[in-house]
Amino acid sequence: MNVIGKAVRKVDGPNLVSGRAKFSGDYRFPRMAYGAVKRAGVPAGRITSVDVEPAREMPGVLDVLTAKDIPGPNIIGVLPPFDQPLLAADEIRYAGESVVLVIAESAEIARRAANAVSVSIEPYEPILTVEEALAPNARKIHESGNVTCSRKLIKGEVEPAFARADVIVEGTYETSFQEHAYLEPETVCAVPGHRTTLYASCQSPFHIRGHVAANMNVPASSVRVVQANTGGSFGGKDDVATEIGALACIAAQRLDRPVMIAHERKESIVGSNLRHASRIRIKTGATNDGRIVARKIDVMLDGGAYASESPFVTMKTMIHAAGPYKIDNVEVKSTAVYTNKTYCGAFRGFGVPQVTFASESQIDELADKLKIDRLEIRRINGLRAGDANATGQVYEESVGLQETIKRIAEQPARPEQADSDRYLYGTGYACVIQGISNGAEGVDVIGASVQMSQDGSVLVGIGLTELGQGSRTVWAQIAAEVLGVNMESVSVRLVDTDAVHDSGPTVASRSTTVGGMAVLKAATEVKASLLSMAALMMQTEAENIELRDGFAVLKMDDSARIPTPQVATAAYWTGFPLMNLAFSKAPDANFDEETHQGTIYIAYNYGTHRMDLRVDTLTGDVEVLNHVAAHDVGKVINPLGLEGQVEGASLIGYGYAHMERIRYADGIIQNANFADYAIPSIKDRIPTVSIPVEDPNPTGPYGAKGVGEPPVAAAAAVFANAIADALDVRFTKLPITREDILDAIKRGNYD
Amino acid sequence: MLIRFTCNGRPVQIEADPQTRVLDLLRDELGLTGTKEGCGRGECGACTILLDGVAVNSCLLLAGKIEGREIVTIEGIAGEDGALHPIQEAFLDVGAVQCGFCTPGMIMSTKALLDEKPAPEVEEVEEALSGNLCRCTGYGKIVEAALEASRRLVQESDQGGESG
Amino acid sequence: MSYLKPNSVAEAAELLESTGGTILAGGTDLCVYMAEGLCDPETLIDISGIESMRGIRLEGDLIRIGACTAIAEIASSEALPTCLRRGARSIGSPQIRNLGTIGGNVCNASPCGDTLAPLLTLDARFVLRSAGGTRTVECFDFFTGPKQTVREPGEILESIEVPAATCKKASAFRMIGNRKGQAISQVNASVCVAIAEGRMTDVRVAVGSVAPIPLRLEALEGVLTGKAIGDVGLAEIREPVLEGIRPIDDVRSTASYRQEVTVALIFDALTACGDQASGEGDGAC
Repeated sequence: MNVIGKAVRKVDGPNLVSGRAKFSGDYRFPRMAYGAVKRAGVPAGRITSVDVEPAREMPGVLDVLTAKDIPGPNIIGVLPPFDQPLLAADEIRYAGESVVLVIAESAEIARRAANAVSVSIEPYEPILTVEEALAPNARKIHESGNVTCSRKLIKGEVEPAFARADVIVEGTYETSFQEHAYLEPETVCAVPGHRTTLYASCQSPFHIRGHVAANMNVPASSVRVVQANTGGSFGGKDDVATEIGALACIAAQRLDRPVMIAHERKESIVGSNLRHASRIRIKTGATNDGRIVARKIDVMLDGGAYASESPFVTMKTMIHAAGPYKIDNVEVKSTAVYTNKTYCGAFRGFGVPQVTFASESQIDELADKLKIDRLEIRRINGLRAGDANATGQVYEESVGLQETIKRIAEQPARPEQADSDRYLYGTGYACVIQGISNGAEGVDVIGASVQMSQDGSVLVGIGLTELGQGSRTVWAQIAAEVLGVNMESVSVRLVDTDAVHDSGPTVASRSTTVGGMAVLKAATEVKASLLSMAALMMQTEAENIELRDGFAVLKMDDSARIPTPQVATAAYWTGFPLMNLAFSKAPDANFDEETHQGTIYIAYNYGTHRMDLRVDTLTGDVEVLNHVAAHDVGKVINPLGLEGQVEGASLIGYGYAHMERIRYADGIIQNANFADYAIPSIKDRIPTVSIPVEDPNPTGPYGAKGVGEPPVAAAAAVFANAIADALDVRFTKLPITREDILDAIKRGNYD
Repeated sequence: MLIRFTCNGRPVQIEADPQTRVLDLLRDELGLTGTKEGCGRGECGACTILLDGVAVNSCLLLAGKIEGREIVTIEGIAGEDGALHPIQEAFLDVGAVQCGFCTPGMIMSTKALLDEKPAPEVEEVEEALSGNLCRCTGYGKIVEAALEASRRLVQESDQGGESG
Repeated sequence: MSYLKPNSVAEAAELLESTGGTILAGGTDLCVYMAEGLCDPETLIDISGIESMRGIRLEGDLIRIGACTAIAEIASSEALPTCLRRGARSIGSPQIRNLGTIGGNVCNASPCGDTLAPLLTLDARFVLRSAGGTRTVECFDFFTGPKQTVREPGEILESIEVPAATCKKASAFRMIGNRKGQAISQVNASVCVAIAEGRMTDVRVAVGSVAPIPLRLEALEGVLTGKAIGDVGLAEIREPVLEGIRPIDDVRSTASYRQEVTVALIFDALTACGDQASGEGDGAC
């Protein structure tokens, strides 16, 4: 391999470090105007009147839009039931809901004018908990009631298995909402014309195109979406990018002026999706040898005011709740519920962090009850190639869990500590499973293009988005590897819905796996052209030639070589195409709707984490001393990129487990800023060491599998388990804050 | 109000409301969009620039304050010939850049540190970057990049070369 | 909207009287209030350029700190006691410390301001200047409530006086926030003690974020006086500390956590003072 497996610099790196890379808020167009919305401010109620005159009268205000000004359906949403309005018309269902859009000459005027709009709301008693939502005579948040959706997974029969079990463990676990907190707040810039172009900070440009066109009541082909460099997304720039994208496009067409909408940090927190909060009940039965014979799990998700991605998050929690274990009898019910709080949707992990925390906590409890080592019980039950997982799907290859457990088991023991009077030390383990790509969530299609110029340089295009995860670089590496050129000659274009086939969303760790396959396919087609041309030039068969180091080389005599640019020029003159537009589709999921048994994911990523930490018994302060994250990634394409993904995801999981909590009071978020919603700073970082295991995945390029998400779940679960080990007290709720820790210590009288 | 200051080594004269945030002055009036807005409250560091050599949040700096002073932004640290600054090179080589939004601010804070302390300890790097949030990288490689940059700069100056 | 840049304190005081404008020092608090829409000043009086208001000078038996001295300078000044340096160092981030001023931290008077407890333990005095003259107020009497002080609308905090003798005492500052970097204090504590023949005299202990104003813990000071630092454990200080503080639950922390941690922080600060006195810690001045 020439570039696959090498630590290469990001292809877009120089532009990013120099400040030249344009993010959505960096575009400047002549006569550009700015938009800001007026939000409800009340968690539930009925709009009785809207007075926009105070805004209209302000100097510099150009336009004011309400729900009736939306040309097409007043709907946004990624999935059915599409129950969310672009601008609220009658009902208010959460405090951050947008009601009126103001367009003005400057962002400052737009905000001041939006504040001046008066929206009268007759408040309802807000429904703020899942219990309230499910109470017998609860007010209906939506016509359909307060249950967003509910699904079941049934494998085997759990009740007879529980009866046979030697040991049963039961428990209830809870997690709270989490905010994405990407550094770049949501921003879009719409430019009108005979077609509308939308520059967006987003991860699903094709979704946006379709929805925006519908809201505008124009054909999708008349809308072009270009993904600008995006300052982090993690699942958060789907619904909301569509929302502000549609608003900006509608306003831009009305005014015939470019319109930028940039959220402030507070809006980013209250007005766009959060991670679902959850309550999870688990019952596990095992025999004395440590084998789990049955698991019954009930997942209840608080999904906030609108459906967003709840249908898929429920599906994913259901499929993953039982963990990466071989269990013959599994029953999972997963339900999402509406409440009058900020709607919940996709966030790196997508339900797996919630269930993994619950599941892995209970695995520890089971181990303790059986008096079996906590890592050993995972090894005993861990999936292997040839095992049927929770959906009954069997993988003959690329089930690397046991190897990750082995690598963790080989780690040196935590050293003995001298100062144990004031400090408590703990070590935790956790295993994770995360399905790669869309699975049962929808068709898994990608479009990619590879184009070689006559000078031998290569341009890659694809419908998936770079969000920081390094996918542009991975795709460039694949193209460089196939075409035998160096990385410097490969460029990756901005994602443009005009340029490639609809590719769906960039989610579910699919950029490397499925995206990479599409690039591989397109590059391979161009390679075939070049080889055909070189074969003519060398008067031999194409199969005797390879592309390497910028040359077409005769395999049996590598002194016989032609520089690739020459071959490319000749191909151009002769009529061999130098560009290919490839379309790749992963196998469809195929499963029973009632039991969710069948084939669902093209592959899974497996991982095992270990964390050692120290707790200060006087202050509850936690110091993470050691964190090792082993993941089977199939094949490492870019070691630097991989480490970055594992380290970054792990810190998000740590923040989720220890530091971050959205605080609501009466349906209003109290800490919608970066001072009081404290994500980890550099001083809070954890010393993550990534150990990649390569167990090749037949459905990924060069055997690779994505790893963007799994470390979030595993790091959160391992933190909880390490704390339990340190304190001999198990917390069943996340986040486990310093306050909680000190409280438990005081109650346990450790001083 | 007429405000005169130096920006990236060049004299600038601009008519502006003194209550304008320097962040907006840079991005909107001077077209220097490398400095970013992440929170507008001085809580994230994405807007970090150098004011007379020290790191400040440009979202909290009013235009009226910069009369006669020297501002350096991310656009101003590359070499005359456009060559990347060793700090920028280090960030790239170590893999400390993911989405890139926090990166200009991180690099400016790193530069402020290394200009004052060419060979910092890890704790000093952490302190200097404690006002720059990142959600993508987990920070490990950012610390590595700062230390690598310091090694390269020290080596450069030992060899009598140009320092950043 | 006007933006005025006086060259002297006298001029600033005159402008304040005549325009009723808003004083701008570093702007790290004011700009946030403006961004939040909490104020919209017609006139700003930028005092950050007034030379006489910057710097730290020894004047006989007191140290005079110009109110417009940057927090970063306070944090690194060898001329100041450790507790004040450390308190300054705990504020925000390097960016905030480079722009923000000690005068701003004092006049903003947030109960969690990290220079406030140290100044209380150093018996600091605040020099207030108005068009009508000057008066000096003891730190002890200065704070009246959250973000409230005795400073009149026409007064500017010109300088802070700290007795030079405090440099000979051992002092320490500890805080804990909602994260390890760039954190607002959930609790902070400052201790300043003289050690004579191994025993504590002239004891000052102050805490922030556990009451509407930064507080001296006089009961605790009484308990500590005459004792050797090494003889004082958590058990001895617990009751007097808890007696003196009134923490609340808020978005940043809980009352019960604050109670526990205050005891721990004071204990840690005392230990640090002990180390300093025996030459193990970093020097006071």
